[in-house]
Amino acid sequence: MAAYDVNGTSVEHDEEGYITNLSEWTKELADVIAVAEEIEMGEEHWAVVNFLREYYEEYQIAPAVRVLIKSIKKSMGPEVGNNKYMYELFPYGPAKQACKIAGLPKPTGCV
Amino acid sequence: MAPLDDDKKDVPIFSDYPSQMPKIECGASLDTNTFKAYPEHNEALGFPGELIDNWQEVAIAKIGELAKKNRAFQVYLDACVKCGACTDKCHYFLGTGDPKNMPVARQDLLRSVYRRYYTFAGKYFPWLVGARDLTKEVLDEWYTYYHQCSQCRRCSVACPYGIDTAEISMAAREILDTVGVGQKYCNEIIAKLKKTGNNLGLNPKALRATLEDLEEDLEDETGIEVKIPLDVKGADVLLITPSADFFAEPHIDGLLGYAKVFHASGVSWTISSYASEAANFGMFIGSYENMREVSWRIRQAAKDLGVKRIIFGECGHAWRVGYSFLNTLAGPFDFLDQNYPIPQHILEFTLDEIEAGKLKIDKSKNDEHIMTYHDSCNVARGSAMGPKEGGQFDVPRAVIKAVCNNFHDMERDTIRENTFCCGGGGGLLTDDLMDLRIKGAKPRMTALQQVTEDHGVNKMAAICAICKTQFSKVMPKYGYDMDSVMSVHQLVANAVILDGQETDEADPAAAEETP
Amino acid sequence: MISTVYAVLFYLATFLMVAGVGMKVFKYATTPVPLNIVVSPAPRTKRGVVFRMFREVIFFESLFKSNKWIWLFGYLFHWGMLIVLLRHFRYFTLNTWWWVEIISPIGKLMAFAMLAGLLGLWARRIFQERIRYISNPSDHLMLALLVGIAGSGTMMSYVTHTDIINVKAYFLGLMRFDLSHTLPADPILMAHLGMVVILMIIFPISKLLHVPGVFFAPSRTLVDNAREKRRVSKWARNLPPLPEGIPAKEEG
Repeated sequence: MAAYDVNGTSVEHDEEGYITNLSEWTKELADVIAVAEEIEMGEEHWAVVNFLREYYEEYQIAPAVRVLIKSIKKSMGPEVGNNKYMYELFPYGPAKQACKIAGLPKPTGCV
Repeated sequence: MAPLDDDKKDVPIFSDYPSQMPKIECGASLDTNTFKAYPEHNEALGFPGELIDNWQEVAIAKIGELAKKNRAFQVYLDACVKCGACTDKCHYFLGTGDPKNMPVARQDLLRSVYRRYYTFAGKYFPWLVGARDLTKEVLDEWYTYYHQCSQCRRCSVACPYGIDTAEISMAAREILDTVGVGQKYCNEIIAKLKKTGNNLGLNPKALRATLEDLEEDLEDETGIEVKIPLDVKGADVLLITPSADFFAEPHIDGLLGYAKVFHASGVSWTISSYASEAANFGMFIGSYENMREVSWRIRQAAKDLGVKRIIFGECGHAWRVGYSFLNTLAGPFDFLDQNYPIPQHILEFTLDEIEAGKLKIDKSKNDEHIMTYHDSCNVARGSAMGPKEGGQFDVPRAVIKAVCNNFHDMERDTIRENTFCCGGGGGLLTDDLMDLRIKGAKPRMTALQQVTEDHGVNKMAAICAICKTQFSKVMPKYGYDMDSVMSVHQLVANAVILDGQETDEADPAAAEETP
Repeated sequence: MISTVYAVLFYLATFLMVAGVGMKVFKYATTPVPLNIVVSPAPRTKRGVVFRMFREVIFFESLFKSNKWIWLFGYLFHWGMLIVLLRHFRYFTLNTWWWVEIISPIGKLMAFAMLAGLLGLWARRIFQERIRYISNPSDHLMLALLVGIAGSGTMMSYVTHTDIINVKAYFLGLMRFDLSHTLPADPILMAHLGMVVILMIIFPISKLLHVPGVFFAPSRTLVDNAREKRRVSKWARNLPPLPEGIPAKEEG
């Protein structure tokens, strides 16, 4: 199975780049995944990733995009907290791509 | 692991017309393969974890078993005359040009093996009738091309004998599963559903939190308390809706629409955290047992909550299972109120409410939308609605027209019973098949573009979670915004005015601002 | 001698065809339909289904809607063949039935419709790339066989007439197990009858099974009544029962 390399430590991921052992996530790893996703992590990206991780900690699942956006809107204002901007931050979708960077499992189903 | 690289893909271009013939190119989509399931996914469904040693023997025996258990499989394998009427009907063929995506050619991948082992001609004159041994290459080919069929049944409508490639494709997937070759997307999801009650893996706590959040949104919007009840014993209606309705856009807007309609109608309703999924991927993999197990949860939840009625939300294949199979798989539903259809579709319910005059509607709220409607394949060709034949086409249109002033249908050959699949149905709505999904959407997108040009259509409504997700992903590739696809109940939600609702008109300050 | 060989062949072919198709029909009829998989929109009543199937069988309705060329050629061929076949009753009945008399002149002409249809279908199989791709040698041979039968028959009607009185006597004899009559030693007739024998023999082991098959395709022959009527097949009834209540640990 393929793996990310974080300063010499390897972290396994599945075919699509989601890490297989969620407890192995670190901020450094997030940066490594982001590079692989061709995303440059800024303050706004981190706000999303941090919220996802908090939410996951509480509920063991990623939040609905709407819930995510509402929260970001509260913390960072409506210029950042909207659907369009989320797709600018994470072109392949805030749910899937941001989850990948945040070390969350991939949302499955008809989503 | 970069996201799907758009530059490397063929940039999709519209066809001149929806059914335009592609250039035939052998093997064009041979390398388009979907990820295989992990052992734990297969095992959770009762299948071997990985390819078993005696797979060939088991697969051949399975063909014989299915022919004995399912008349359709037996008759369809025998009856095809290779007339070719179906050859130009599949959206994946039209999109990829790979001749193995022609329905009859797809059937032949399995029919050739059936003939070899189960027919006189194939046993003694295989070259004459195109019969072939079941080799590993054949098995791989099955995996590839039976995962390029969305089981939409458009070919079956075209066939003089009604031969349904979906049945062959489901059987092929079941045979593959039986020898330990499952598809990750479907099997992981079914395994998850068996654990958590839905495809997403949403646990009751998270589901409750999400619903509460949405209730907040509804109150912000309307100024009144509109509930989205969860696990309420004794409610009249149990709503079975795809879990995407709790998670994705524009699905959630549909859920808010159901909530408003239920609120306005005064019917008490509830969602179940145990059966928090309408989707039933057991159908996609052709597994009666898995489909039955998933369906059974609905029965359990309905009994447990003591509801009188079951209503299905907007989900295409779920409605096929609900309408056509549920009674068989999880019935009899003698404990429900027999005065209502079991199950009922949310659109049947909403149309009844509209016709009974129970909903206050302001159609002008949807005036910015110039709508068309995408008939979802499983609803169109695998189910019905209302009391009249063809209700599955007329009921959704009636609801749209009741809440919306601007509606234009797409070309006749691409709607109703001839509707083109969105390109993501049948268990193919997975990122690893994105290239196929984009190509498969081409006929539908071409038909949409025609009405955009002719009538200025800017939005397409759908009643299927898969369609909605698929379109929101592939529409941008064809130059449409991702929110050009809408839930039908999103339109309803826009137009319906609840009793006591704060409206712009009622607010003099807001009214003054509008010129 | 050759007449005896043909007699044996005809008895054998008739037996194989009737028994073979009979077995297939029995198999189709007794194989369960575990789910209602009718392709909608579908009739809500049995009577509606009969009407749907009538339109399919008489007009080839679905084919007409899906492909006009295949419909045209297929329709010419099938209806041409039907009338031609009905006309052949005059060779198997001592006194020709009145309606066979009536259709006989048309029947003679319909051979050309049949041939035109067959050749049209064959041309599509050869020149239309998609259909060429899905064709096996057997598909071409089937057409060759039918063209051969129709062609040789037409030859005997219009070009070199065979001794039809003797042919009729021979077949009337066969039907009464009286083998005293002999067939005229006419190569075209021999070819015609030989090919008919082959067609009869391969009927139950070839795609000609579409003839009984069309009446057993669940996608068309079921009534759209799944919400009202359960259909649990025998094997499904034997599946292990599932629990009625919700297991406590999973309760929300």
